[in-house]
Amino acid sequence: MKKLFRYILPYKWLALVSPLMMMGEVACDLCLPYLMSYIVNFGILGMDVFSPTEGSPMAARLVGLFLGEDYTGMQLILLFGILMISLTLVGGFFGTMCAYTAARAAQSFGRDLRVDVFKKVMSLSIEQTDRFTTGSLVTRMTNDITMIVDFMEMLMRMFVRAPMFLIGGTIMLLSLEPKFGLVLLCSIPVLLLVMVLVLKKAVPLFSIVQTRLDRVNSVVQENVSGARVVKAYVREEHECGRFRNANGELRDVNLRVLRLMAIINPVMMIVMNVTVIVVMYLGGVNIAFGDASMNTGSIMASITYVSMVLNSVLMVTGMFGAISRASASAKRVVEVMGEEPVILGGEGATEQGDIAVSFKNVSFRYPGTVGRPVLSGIDLDIKKGETLAIIGATGSGKSSLVAMIPRFYDAIEGEVFVNGAPVKDYPLADLRAKIGYVMQKTVLFSDTIAGNIRWGDPDASDKAVRAAAAAAQATEFIDGFAEGFDTFVAEKGASLSGGQKQRTSVARALVRKPEILILDDSTSALDLATEGKLRAELAKMTGDTTVIIIAQRIASVMTADRIAVLENDGTIVHCAPHEELLKISETYRDICDSQIRSGALVRKEDGEDE
Amino acid sequence: MSEKRHGPGGPGPRPGGRPGGPMGARLNAEKPKNTKRTLFRLARYIGKSGWVLVGLLAIMLVVTLVEILNPFFQQKAIDTITLVDGKLAVDLRAMVGYLAAIGGTFVFSATLSYFQGLLAAKLSQTTVYTMRNELFSKISRLPISYTDTHRHGDIMSRMTNDIENVSNAVSQSIATLFSAVLTLIGALTMMLYYSPLLTAVAITIIPMTLLVSSVLAKFMRKYFVAQQRILGRLNSNVEESVTGYKTVVAYGKEADAIASFAENAQELRTTSIKARVWGSIMGPIMNFLGNFHYVLLAALGGYMVLSGRGGITVGSIQAMLQYSKKFSQPINMIANQYSTILTALAGAERIFEIMDSANEVDTGRSDIRVEDIRGDITFENLQFGYVPGEPVLKGFDLEVKAGQKIAIVGATGSGKTTVVNLLTRFYELDGGRITIDGVDITEIPKDTLRHAIAIVLQDTVLFSDTIGANIRYGRDNATDESVRAAAHTAMADVFIDRLPEGYETRLTESGSNLSEGQRQLLSISRAVLADPKILILDEATSSVDTRTELRLQQAMNNLMKGRTSLIIAHRLSTIRDADKIVVVSDGRIVEVGSHDELLAKGGQYSKLYSSQFAGVAI
Repeated sequence: MKKLFRYILPYKWLALVSPLMMMGEVACDLCLPYLMSYIVNFGILGMDVFSPTEGSPMAARLVGLFLGEDYTGMQLILLFGILMISLTLVGGFFGTMCAYTAARAAQSFGRDLRVDVFKKVMSLSIEQTDRFTTGSLVTRMTNDITMIVDFMEMLMRMFVRAPMFLIGGTIMLLSLEPKFGLVLLCSIPVLLLVMVLVLKKAVPLFSIVQTRLDRVNSVVQENVSGARVVKAYVREEHECGRFRNANGELRDVNLRVLRLMAIINPVMMIVMNVTVIVVMYLGGVNIAFGDASMNTGSIMASITYVSMVLNSVLMVTGMFGAISRASASAKRVVEVMGEEPVILGGEGATEQGDIAVSFKNVSFRYPGTVGRPVLSGIDLDIKKGETLAIIGATGSGKSSLVAMIPRFYDAIEGEVFVNGAPVKDYPLADLRAKIGYVMQKTVLFSDTIAGNIRWGDPDASDKAVRAAAAAAQATEFIDGFAEGFDTFVAEKGASLSGGQKQRTSVARALVRKPEILILDDSTSALDLATEGKLRAELAKMTGDTTVIIIAQRIASVMTADRIAVLENDGTIVHCAPHEELLKISETYRDICDSQIRSGALVRKEDGEDE
Repeated sequence: MSEKRHGPGGPGPRPGGRPGGPMGARLNAEKPKNTKRTLFRLARYIGKSGWVLVGLLAIMLVVTLVEILNPFFQQKAIDTITLVDGKLAVDLRAMVGYLAAIGGTFVFSATLSYFQGLLAAKLSQTTVYTMRNELFSKISRLPISYTDTHRHGDIMSRMTNDIENVSNAVSQSIATLFSAVLTLIGALTMMLYYSPLLTAVAITIIPMTLLVSSVLAKFMRKYFVAQQRILGRLNSNVEESVTGYKTVVAYGKEADAIASFAENAQELRTTSIKARVWGSIMGPIMNFLGNFHYVLLAALGGYMVLSGRGGITVGSIQAMLQYSKKFSQPINMIANQYSTILTALAGAERIFEIMDSANEVDTGRSDIRVEDIRGDITFENLQFGYVPGEPVLKGFDLEVKAGQKIAIVGATGSGKTTVVNLLTRFYELDGGRITIDGVDITEIPKDTLRHAIAIVLQDTVLFSDTIGANIRYGRDNATDESVRAAAHTAMADVFIDRLPEGYETRLTESGSNLSEGQRQLLSISRAVLADPKILILDEATSSVDTRTELRLQQAMNNLMKGRTSLIIAHRLSTIRDADKIVVVSDGRIVEVGSHDELLAKGGQYSKLYSSQFAGVAI
């Protein structure tokens, strides 16, 4: 929480003025009961302002100043009335100014914090975003920050208001009769105790409510997105039962919370009224014993202040809940702020030779995992302009291998070179600018199709965009849209089919004219004819580009200059052209057999791989 | 994944889908369209816990009465202090009596208000529980076309946000409104008792409050709506950059992302400040109105006393002033509840919108039993389109004998998956008919039809439950052995046995802790265990590596003896041994035959085939 406070520093004047304004408002509010009692006592009941026993020195001074000794009741009412209204206006002005300054300070704080957290996240390494998981990062940057900003604003307004009322009210009360303060001293702890007990029991329940709500949501989510399977297996009744359970559990815990909270209101009522009764009784006793300073007006005023003080106690305890929630959010945000990118760019690389990408004895394991490395002892040189394909079983580490080229991850052993220089020497942006990377999981952004393709090269001409789309076999479907290349891609590309998304992202990589083009299983959603055309176009277009293709289908890889076969233990034993591999690599022959000679015998050694 | 997604396979094009972010759609509907009807329907839900409601209102009546009478008793207690011979004196005995009365009534009403809290909790929770259950069971009865054409986020937000809003309104607004109205009536009665003329003056605060708050609310709404909209945009901005982070990094777009985010953050700041300031002005203005009336009443009352008109006493003006303060409170409360209630009504309306959607129709009256289905299927001249005027199937004819293995191939978007959607009656035909064993499938009850068919989709659907339970999804009462046997057939046992908890492993968030290939094998196990008469595999092994796939196929061949199977696949290697291969193009069947026949024919199939295996020596 403290770490976030430095974000308020640029707005410290606003943040300081705001509580002052609030004090002004509270001061006005505290004066109002006095003025009201003056109107009743001296204006309507006709008591004498200047009388030493029943009058009031403050009121007497005001009347003396504006009306003189000979005032009428009507004049007095109007005088104090005008004062009251003016005070209300002044208080309102203070209040609004307080709201304005607090909002300005908190929202500016929020903007700076948001942008900084976003900047931080944009600087993190992939393994860190993996660890946080995207869902949690999104929550931290949205809900958590909003919670903190709201809390800041409340801090400047409510956190001043409640203690002010508490202190101001107590002072006013003590000035009327010190004994009443003692009464308050008894009732405040009672109220506090009850509140603390209730909150102590209720706060752990809040998190249970959240978990159960999540469960209800996940059942709905599963049923909405899996509606086909639910219906296909005729499981509607079963799912309704599952939902009723989750829903019932949520209701039960909600009821428990609400039942606990139901105690607060009556306790407050009783404490408040018992206090009022005791105040009245003590006042009565005082008068009975002839205490001259005690009168009807002061008892009435005392009652007003007692309720003010007790209400603010309730508010203060309510704030503890807000503090605990905000500090949980702050902790989550600070956790992100505290991360430093683990993969940092180098100073500059000296390029040499004609090897585009080279792996030297590279081993890899995902950060935070233990056990057998995903890849081990990889040695592989890919020449400039060469087309290299990588094939292997699911989970054999094909994607991990290429992810080390743009340094999404670093090798745990060995080194990766690009253009003869270690990847660690390149500034990250320079390194990645050389690469066109088409991922297995296509991601498009809310922009037009042309805008998405231009991600590859912001300065690309319309012609270049069109040419890249044509090579990626995307023009046909893009021209099918009413607005062509200006069609807006909504909701992360949900309006496009898988194949359309893949082709758009291939175009995005092509428009970049990259030195190294990586296609990570990025044509899997295309039918065979389309994929064939795409491959032919790629071969034409990428003359001096180094191309790395990951694929499942033999047909997609067999035309490559060389094919690296990734074994299940994460090693590469053979890397050669198709014909040669057929002769030397048993794994490769197996893969071919499984795809082409469907009549081939199935190997008996189940479990040798997955 | 293929272009079939353009059809109903997923969140494809949405006929009638609304543009703009998710917030845009919600805020446009913020004002309820038909308040009276919605209110009436909502009342029915609340009315279901009738006795709770009656008890709640009865208790509130008593509690509010005590509140109203409180100043009266306090006044009596204070009135025991009197001026005797220029000195204040007090009748302590009478005072203690009044104080005891106040204390007694408050202990009584505090006890009651505890029960009020309990009842209010019960009322709101029961209402929400019932609504959620009904909404869910409604969702499960909606046709697939509904979930295909509506944003899932939108449906989710009705289940959560909207129901939450209704819950808030039920638990708070009903109580607040009722007590506010009671207080208003009580205070009004007392004031009328003291002075009708002054009461008439006091009442003018009502139209003034309403006028001011409605004008202010307009401004507030404008900025709050804008604030929500920008916040929504900001959130989707974050989500996009974070979920697509690898792409952002790969293309070095960090700076651009930050710039557009900063712009949104700045806009949010500006709008939020305006919204907060407008929001905070309401309090002071109401305060001003209340105090203005207080002074007005005091001045008028003072004038009446001093001029001796209206026969009013000093004491009654004092009481009037007390009650006028009580009077302005509930008006503020009602004004504050106004927006809560509007939001809740708008939410309720969106909930009822789903409730009012047409159910999946089931006209099946045939008493055919699942066990008796053999599995002959005929497709006769199928005509179908998801969107009127854009036909997907244009005369699809096919005859399948029981026990045959049929493969459907064709370019993306040719309508392969549509055939599956129609056979399982996820969608209804526009023309033509489908029969199973000679019976039109519209005659077969949907439950029977779907029990006879098992489908495995490319996009696997797993539920957050154990692996065992997920496999059992097709047959609840299956024994552990048969679950194991099914997993073995589907080649899933290899990886399941390697998991520390085996079949008891719980899947997180729809199985995100498994690889796509493993998920597909689990879905196949599920279909195997379901023991269907007709099996449909729609790109069911696209993420499984080809060697596993081949072994899987061998195992499945045994299983599929005597059952009809329809297989849709991109990898032609998986379908070579099919009895019939059907090539679909542009909504029609263009070629039918066995693998060898079609190759010999040199048509579309052989073209597809050679594109996949071009240059491979066989």
